[in-house]
This record gives sequence, C-alpha cells and structure tokens, in this order.
Amino acid sequence: MEDHNKKRIISLRWAVIIVTSYLILFGKGKIAHIDLGQLFILLYILSNLLLIFVPPKWFSNLKFFYSLVLMDTGIVSFGMFLSEKVTTDFYLVFFFILILASMSRNYKLLMVISGVTASLYGILLYSWGLLESEQGISYAIRIPFIFIMSAFYGYIVQTFSKEKQKQLAISEDKYRGLFENANDGIIILRNSPWQIADVNREVEQLTGYKKGELLQKDAVDLIAPRDKQEALSFFEAVIKEGEGRTEALSLARKDGGSSEVDLSIKRIDLGDESFFQVIFRDLSDQRKLEKKIRESKRNLEAIFDSIRDQLSIWAPDYQIQRVNRAVIEKYHTTFEELIGRKCYEAYYQRDLPCEKCPVTVTLETKQPASVVQKNPTIDSTLHIFSYPILDDKGDLLSVIECSRDVTEEQRLHEQLIQSEKLAGIGILASGVAHEINNPLTGIIGMAEASLEEEDISTIKSYLTDILNCGQRISEIVKGLRSYCRVAKQEEQNPIDMNEVLEESLKMVRLAVKTSSVEVVKKFQPIDKVVANLGEIQQVFTNLITNAFQVMDGKGGILTLCTRSLRDSVEVKVSDNGMGIPQKHLSQIFDPFFTTKKTGEGTGLGLNIVYRIVTKYGGTIDVESKEGSGTTFTLRFPTRRDEV
Amino acid sequence: MNKKVLVIDDEETIRKFIKIQLGKAGYEVKEAADGEQAMVQLKRDRFDVLICDIMMPRKNGWEVLKEVRLNPETSEIPVIFLTAKNEDNDMFKGYELGATYYITKPFTKSQLLFGLNTIFDRKKNSLY
Repeated sequence: MEDHNKKRIISLRWAVIIVTSYLILFGKGKIAHIDLGQLFILLYILSNLLLIFVPPKWFSNLKFFYSLVLMDTGIVSFGMFLSEKVTTDFYLVFFFILILASMSRNYKLLMVISGVTASLYGILLYSWGLLESEQGISYAIRIPFIFIMSAFYGYIVQTFSKEKQKQLAISEDKYRGLFENANDGIIILRNSPWQIADVNREVEQLTGYKKGELLQKDAVDLIAPRDKQEALSFFEAVIKEGEGRTEALSLARKDGGSSEVDLSIKRIDLGDESFFQVIFRDLSDQRKLEKKIRESKRNLEAIFDSIRDQLSIWAPDYQIQRVNRAVIEKYHTTFEELIGRKCYEAYYQRDLPCEKCPVTVTLETKQPASVVQKNPTIDSTLHIFSYPILDDKGDLLSVIECSRDVTEEQRLHEQLIQSEKLAGIGILASGVAHEINNPLTGIIGMAEASLEEEDISTIKSYLTDILNCGQRISEIVKGLRSYCRVAKQEEQNPIDMNEVLEESLKMVRLAVKTSSVEVVKKFQPIDKVVANLGEIQQVFTNLITNAFQVMDGKGGILTLCTRSLRDSVEVKVSDNGMGIPQKHLSQIFDPFFTTKKTGEGTGLGLNIVYRIVTKYGGTIDVESKEGSGTTFTLRFPTRRDEV
Repeated sequence: MNKKVLVIDDEETIRKFIKIQLGKAGYEVKEAADGEQAMVQLKRDRFDVLICDIMMPRKNGWEVLKEVRLNPETSEIPVIFLTAKNEDNDMFKGYELGATYYITKPFTKSQLLFGLNTIFDRKKNSLY
C-alpha cells in the first residue's frame, strides 16, 4: 500500500519536473538567468531521486506528505519566478501540485494548499505587474480559478473516498458474517503475548467462554494443561515460519471438559503489527465417529474370532485375506503366516487347489457349496462350507469358507453304525441259532437212532438224513460268512444293488423266520453305485427286517423293486403290513425313535438307514397307509461329484 | 392202549427222529409239517400229547397253542414246545399261553422221553 503511494507520488513529480523544465528552458518568456534555471532543474530532479530512497511508510505520514506538497508548491512558484513573467501557461503546473495534494484525501488540507497556491500565484502576478496590464483581468481570473479547481478536485476525491468507505463497510460486514458463521472456530491473535483480539461464535461454543471473557485471555490458557507445552512450542514455530498446523490438541473448556481440535495458524502482517489467525477445527464429532467405527470394527472382529468354526475369507485367486482365531489355533500358526498365502499351500501343503474344494465351486457358480474331507496335515475330518460374497452388481468379491471339525462326530457316527451292525448281528445270531439247531437236532437224533439200529440199510438211510442236515448247516454258515464279510470302513466299490438286495434278503430270512411272507422281486438291470458294501447291506437288511417284523406272518407280501432312472437307481421296499401311523411318519428317521418294546429295537435302524443313504447323496422317502402297508423309496445317484 | 402223539415241526428229519424213538417207546405217532396241518389233524383225531415247534411257516407254535387251548375239546391236551429260542422270554411266553413243557433244540432221545414221562406222571398223579 505504502509502496504504491510512493510510486505514484514520485511519478507525478517526474511529470511536474519535465513540464516545469520544459517551460523554464523553452517557454515563451525569456529566461533571466539561464544558469540559475538549469541549477533549479538539477536540484528538482535530485530531490525526486532522493525521494526514491525514502522509506515507503513515510508517504502515508501526513506531515511528511504535506511538507512535500508545500515544498513542491514553493519550488514550482520559484520555477515560475525564474521563467520571468508568467505570460506562458506555466500556472497549469499548479494543477499537478493540486492533484498531488488531493491524493491525501483530506479536504481541509487541500483547501489550505490551494489557498497558499492561489496566494503565491497572485503575489507573482502582482510582482510582475501583470495585473495592471491590459490583460490584467484575464490574469486575475486565474487566481480564483485555481481555488475553484482545487475545491472541485477535493469534492471528487472525497466522494470517491466515501463511496470506497461504504464499499469497505459492506465487505467488512460480509467478512464479519463469514467470520462469525464459520464452522471452524477462528481467533485473531496479536503477536506475543498471545493476546486474543477477536473470536467468532464457534470459539465461544468450543471453549464455553463468552467473547468478552475470551478477549481478556491469553490464547495459551485455552489449551488444556497436558497439551500446553506442545502448544507453546508450536506457537514458537509459527512465529518463525509464518504458518503451521497441529493435530489434535485439547482445549480446556470453561465447564472443565475438553474439546479436541486441530489448529492451523497463519500470520497476517498489517503495517507495524502482525496478527495471527488461528483456525480451530472441532474434532469431537469426527473423533466420536472414528471411535464408533473403531468399536464396530472391533465388535465385528470379536464376533468373527468368537466363532469356533474356522472362518477364512479368500480372494478369487485363493489368497487368504482374513482368518479368525479358530484357524490360528487349529493350524498352530500366526495371522502373519497365513494372510496373503494361497489356501491350499497354507492349509494342505499343496501346489494346486484341492480337487473337491467347495470354494472352486463357489468361484465358478457364485453359489454356496460344501464338502466333507480329510485334512491329513492336521489329521482331521472337516465339513467345509463356502459362501460367495458379492458386491452390489452381483460380482464375486471374495469367498468365505467355514470349516468345522467333524472328526469326532464322524467317529461317533461310524461307531453308531458299527454298534447297530452289532445289534443286527445279535438278532441274526439268534435266528441263525434256530436255523442251525433244527438240522443239528436232526443230526443228533438220527445219530442216536443209528446207534440203536442193527439193520445196515436203515442205518444208511439215517446217515443220509444226517448228511443232508450237515450240508444244510454248512450252507447256513457259508451265507453267514458272506454277510459278515466286513468291508473296510472307507472302501468303496461299484455295487450292484440287485445282488445286495438278494443277499440281504437271504440273511433276513435266516434271522426272522416269519416264513409265511411271500417275496415279490421286480428287479431291472441297473447301473452300479459306488458305495461301501457293508453300509448298503445294512440299509437293506434293516428295511427288510422291519418289513418282515411288521407283517409277522399274516400273509404278508414283501415287494422289492429296482429300476434305473436318469442319473440314479431306485430301490423300493414295500410291505403290506400294518403301516405307520401318520403322527409317527415325521419321526421314524429320528435316532432312538421306536415303537418296539424295550430290548427289541434300538430305535437306530432307520436313522442309520437315513444317514447312510444321505451320505451317498441319495434320498429316502416313505409312503405309508395305516392298515395297508409301507413303501420305502431309496434313490442313489450313480454319478457323484462329491462325497 | 398206546398214547397218541402229534409231532408238529417243519423239519422233516426231526419228525422222523421223534417218530422212530417214540415208536420204540410204545407211542403212536402222527406228523404235521406246520401249524395248519396240525389243526387239520386235531380235528380229525384225538391226541394225548402235542410236540410242537415254535418257528414254523404259515401258522407258528404260539398260534397252534392258542387255538388248542381255546377249543374245549382240545384244551386239556398237554403241549411240549420244541424250540431253538432258548431265551427266558420265550419260555415265559410259552408257559403263559399254557405250554406244559419245554424242550430246547438240539435234544436227545432221553431228553424227549424224560419230558413225556414227566407229563404223564404228573397227569397220573393229578388223577388220584
């Protein structure tokens, strides 16, 4: 600002100097002392050169400014004097002076200057005797003209300056409004000590102090004691650098609480004084939000970790993105070791995804999938589910895998099947005992009779009976051995269901001698089903035994049907027994559900049938009408992708 | 007069063996291969004792016994059960239904005769 003033004044003076010099050297009037004229011009130029080195602030100083204007008025008047007789238009130079004076924007001073100028001009005119010449009136009229001109200038300048002030006031209001209504707290500080010069409403809100109270305070006192040291060193840094920012300082509130704020400070220099504009950004809400987000994140993590199943989240390229604590414990590893690795490397020590991996299925189909498989590295049987995580557009983001250790469950299940099988063998044994005891009685009896007999041909006929009985016993034992041929638990072979049905039927016939049952077999050639022989035998013997038991010799008809369907084989076991009451239909596959007397049934038979059938991906349905019989329909898929 | 025995068993060799031995002991023996045949014989003839298997096709031993006991004409006939089911439950069930004696398979000539003697001795005693 001052710099600007200085430039203007100096340039204006150069203009005055050029015009004055021109008039002195080449004006119409003769120059009385040419050397004096040149000296004058030289001094005048020199004075302006000197001004260049005067500090800019001086130009806004009114005293300096007016001395300068008065001096120039004197100099110009002297220049006129030197140009001898003001017949020229030299007086116009006065207008430059007046313009110069008008820059002060002070009307009174301008009037004083113009008075002085007009008087000086009048004195010059008079001393040269021009007022008395024939053109005296036209010269004399120039004196009030100077005065009128300056009044006019003054008026214009003052009007402009009023207009400017008005505009300033408006813009001041505007900025005040912005200042007051800013969302951030703003404090204007005077340089040290950190005296508060102005605050906006937000600061009142943040600190709880009224503006009046704040203006009495030192800015450092607003900072909570624990952050004071940090704040002081921060302010000191700002003095050096002119501006700065801090993170999260606590403001001490009037009510004893504290507000978290970010500070940014900027120095503003105004003339001699410099101020600091301090902007406070209230972090309370932001902090609360951040805290909430952190808490909800922690909550989610806690939930994730508290689930005892092993959860992993995989990227579509099988990379482990995240696992819960159960995984870490199961695999005795650390988060760092797992995250970012391929799952099959980390969990199975393989180079490629596992063949039956449900995640592969989910990746391809975007559908959930599951599998039961053994993991040899941790010696466990796992039931693994995989679920897709999709974005808004339905694209696959990642896959979440939930894996549950079912080793113990599996073992119990196998044990249960085994114990049911043993129970079955118990029933079989008593049936077999009966079946063997009959021919055995024959053998013993006929042997006794032979011993008492003398006639050789009679003895021979008795021996034939004994032989027959012996052969029958041998048949029974053979059949028994084929039934008890215990297939290894995990061994699975292609099985012809028709053969297994025949074999099972034979066994049940041995065990349950309700011989009045007629058996109808409607076997079609069917595809083989890959399964464990022992388990399938168990399914059929259980169903056929049940059928025999419910018909209990009342002219029962057992119907066994098999046929091929598109991807499966169907086996129907029907009886015409008493049927299952409607209310029991939903329970018959439940473990330990039985209508038999204690000691006659475990209530596990149908449950085990159900479990074995579903294990092979098959289905079992039951239709029953009370009084007219029951049909079990089993379907086994002939092609299975997973076990 | 010889005592008349009806042997009911689906096992031919057993019937044959009983017939041989009881024949020697002075009984008159008739045979039936199952419960239904037995009922036919019982209608036709009077018997002093029945020797009856339990597990038989068409009509089993329990059913035969029940019918025999329900019929006033036959209700007093002693019945000896032959069974491979030597479990207590079966024995109780048999006695409950009115069986007179039990012989478990396999058995010998002497076991069979002992059973018959016991029955007839008891019957004799009860007469006096």
